[in-house]
Amino acid sequence: MRKLILPVSIIAVILALVLLAPILPLADVRAMDIPHRFAGPSLQHWLGQDEFGRDVLTRLIFGARASLSIAIGSALAAALIGATLGLLGGYFRGLVELVTVRAAEVVLCLPPLLLALLVVTILGAGFWPLILALTLLYTPNYARVVYAATLQVRGLDYVTAQRALGTHPLTIVLRTLLPNVLPPLVVQISLVIASAIVIESGLSFLGLGVVPPTPSWGLMIRSARGAMEQAPMLLVWPSLALAGTILTFNLLCDRLQSVLDPRTVPVGGAIWLRRRGATSPRPSSREARVPRAAGPAGAGAVTDRAATDRSGETKPADLLAIEGLTVALDRPGGVGSGMELVRGVSLALRPGETLALVGESGSGKTLTSLAVTGLLPDVLAVTAGTAAYVRRDGTALDLLAEDEDGHRRLRGDEISMVFQDASAALNPVHRIGDQLAEGILAHRAIGRAEAANEAVALLKRVGIPDPERRARAYPHELSGGQRQRAMIAIAVANRPKLLLADEPTTALDPTIQAQILALIADLKRDNPDMGVVFVTHNLAVVAEIADRVAVMYAGELVEEGPVAEVFARPRHPYTAALIGSVPEGGAERLVAIPGTVPAPGQMPPGCRFAPRCDHAEAICRESEPAEFVPAPGRRTRCLRYEEVT
Amino acid sequence: MLRYIAYRSLLAVFLVWIVVTLVFLMLHLVPGDPAELLLSQGSTAADPQAVANLRERLGLDDPLWLQYAHHIGGLLTGDLGTSFRDGASVTGQIVQRLPRTLEVIVAAALIAAALGVPAGTLAAVRSGGWIDTLISFLSSVALSTPVFVVGSVVILVFAQELRLVPAGGYVPFAVDPARHLLLLMLPAGTVALALWAVIARMTRASVLDVLERDYVRTARAKGLSRVKILRRHVVRNAMIPVLTVLGLEMGTLIGGTVLVEFVFNWPGLSGYLVSAVDARDYPEVVGIVMVISILFVFLNLVVDIVSAVLDPRISLTR
Repeated sequence: MRKLILPVSIIAVILALVLLAPILPLADVRAMDIPHRFAGPSLQHWLGQDEFGRDVLTRLIFGARASLSIAIGSALAAALIGATLGLLGGYFRGLVELVTVRAAEVVLCLPPLLLALLVVTILGAGFWPLILALTLLYTPNYARVVYAATLQVRGLDYVTAQRALGTHPLTIVLRTLLPNVLPPLVVQISLVIASAIVIESGLSFLGLGVVPPTPSWGLMIRSARGAMEQAPMLLVWPSLALAGTILTFNLLCDRLQSVLDPRTVPVGGAIWLRRRGATSPRPSSREARVPRAAGPAGAGAVTDRAATDRSGETKPADLLAIEGLTVALDRPGGVGSGMELVRGVSLALRPGETLALVGESGSGKTLTSLAVTGLLPDVLAVTAGTAAYVRRDGTALDLLAEDEDGHRRLRGDEISMVFQDASAALNPVHRIGDQLAEGILAHRAIGRAEAANEAVALLKRVGIPDPERRARAYPHELSGGQRQRAMIAIAVANRPKLLLADEPTTALDPTIQAQILALIADLKRDNPDMGVVFVTHNLAVVAEIADRVAVMYAGELVEEGPVAEVFARPRHPYTAALIGSVPEGGAERLVAIPGTVPAPGQMPPGCRFAPRCDHAEAICRESEPAEFVPAPGRRTRCLRYEEVT
Repeated sequence: MLRYIAYRSLLAVFLVWIVVTLVFLMLHLVPGDPAELLLSQGSTAADPQAVANLRERLGLDDPLWLQYAHHIGGLLTGDLGTSFRDGASVTGQIVQRLPRTLEVIVAAALIAAALGVPAGTLAAVRSGGWIDTLISFLSSVALSTPVFVVGSVVILVFAQELRLVPAGGYVPFAVDPARHLLLLMLPAGTVALALWAVIARMTRASVLDVLERDYVRTARAKGLSRVKILRRHVVRNAMIPVLTVLGLEMGTLIGGTVLVEFVFNWPGLSGYLVSAVDARDYPEVVGIVMVISILFVFLNLVVDIVSAVLDPRISLTR
């Protein structure tokens, strides 16, 4: 509401000046003083005198009278008629809609200024023809806005209820619908006033609007043009008054919109698009962490520790080792800044391994995979942790310390992603083949034609029939399953070492899901060293494709281990509950764990699962459990795992 | 796609018919005698003899359906009647002046798009920064200043004070191309200012919207360069609503260059319209209004088709 103070108070001052003009100590608006024509500012005439020696300030204020009364008068008249048409049309629909809203829209077939000129031709210039012309002009705008708002409200339960109770339709329209359509109506009124002032002053400027000697800003500018050489300021004053008034009404409209419709919250843009430096997730901490992960020794330190967790098993070096990843809300000064959505997640993935990341919505599994690729939304940032990764050329680096450019070199090449909703993740205006080829061209120095051929071959590889023709198709011309196959083709185009698949089968029906899983398994046989992180909430999928499974709850990793072992003997009550909630025969949704995941910022002290846990005791609610190693290669975050699992 | 174009064209023809009928009815459904209405000046009653003559010339004594048939027939054969003032062919005048108006509009649209799209994109990419605030402020001012004010101030500053340009006028391109373009820049630049603001704002909103889309994340996941993402996936997609708005604005301008043509003494169609309205020359006004309205509808058709080409999904919705 505070935002409205500025425009409303300026408008109040203008209106007060206009209304009080006759009793203000101003010079006579029509009194001529030919000897002093074009005189400059003086004590009696603050803004000087015009070509007839009349007082400019007085004429400016009286000019506002004409402009504002025509603009506000026609804006209100049009609002009354338009709102009536819109309400009736929106409430009754059918034939009524045709003769109200649709009929009014016919006016929109004519360019606005033209319509006004047509009315002036027929009725002549003057005050009332202008009001009529502008009312006619703006009625359809109101009708449309109110009609749209009415449609939104009329389907709501309380309107239906009133109808069922037999309330008279007119009562419903006036008592229930009208208050609901008022906000957009008010915004529209302020917009129309501004635009009506423009048209009124324009017509007056042409000599087709307000008739002299009635003062009007348009007329003042018109006559000042003739005297530009003698008195240029005569042009400047009415111009400023006109532009300033319109600006104020436009400002009012903008502010009203943002007050009445809070959905138009400004978006942050895209930090990743800005230059280097600003794109690094944690520029300040970068130097501190780079040395650790820069050389093979640094990466080794991370993997050593991960290895000791699994009690020193000998195995090939990890492809990816995430250590203590924490993701928090990063809106300096904003609500909830610093709130942690992912906390202290450690994970390791060996070449050729498939790791399933499981959890309910909001458990942080998707954020974990986005953090590794540097694709976190702008409002989130990595605040702690490392992700040691060994590149194709053998160099080790910390993915969490890379800036946008560092990530860009890896993304789509060594590390690639498959997203959940392929229909949204593919650009609707580019052909499938082009979207594939550009990913190839971004990382390899080959020709366009070669890339296009490779794109077709890839589409064939992922099992899309008639790939030559499909490569020229747009995403909307493919089926859902084919779109996801194309998405996967984009991801594997450059034979990645690491594939992060974020719920790639969730949006698909079960038959297609099975085909996509088979495809991913098949692609792994092509590229046996490719590590896969498969984010899902579907335990049936986990059993089918993963070697290891990591279970996340409320932003923390609660259990990790080989799939068969975890399924056979979960070592965390949450995992046990998850497995228990899958009906026999493999359903697709997680159901029936009592309670809900706590919201970030409202995390319980102690174990985060304690409020929903059947086995929770006092100690669970007091101390945060660390990660325990119940067996080689397994981890759990439960204090009482020895007793309860 | 062809079916879509055919459908939209049919719709456009229908709209043109509505407009033509509307203009016809507007004059005939006004209470009172149109001839008397046209001849009366304020409170002075019209000369009965003149009214009778005018009724004769306008064919107002014919039954309404016959007048309507004449109206449509004349339009189909390209005959819009002759002027009251000088008896010249209205069609001839329009053919001569329309290209000049279109020239101003196209030049203004080009200038506005060339400056507005980068400005809007920059404002979106740096949203919340000083450059965004600056562009937002400039566009508010540009949108709030009526075109005749901008034009008058341009003349005051650039022609009167700085003496950089002439204060307006027109020279045919064939006679002096350089001077023609210089004179064109005055009205075109003036119209372009408000249009720039519209395009910059629309582009900013549209780019911000597109930046949030999943396919932009996909483009990043492919490892494309910033420039490529911005050009191929952000601006390319963001342009679809911007072009629609630009097309609609250009349509409004066909009848809306009245003021700028008047200010710069540019002998286009709109100036002709003003003098016709001023003289209440009925055949001229009706002829011009109909030509402009038909162009308006036609331009909207072009906008629809261009949008469908840019966004292949659109042609499926109908």
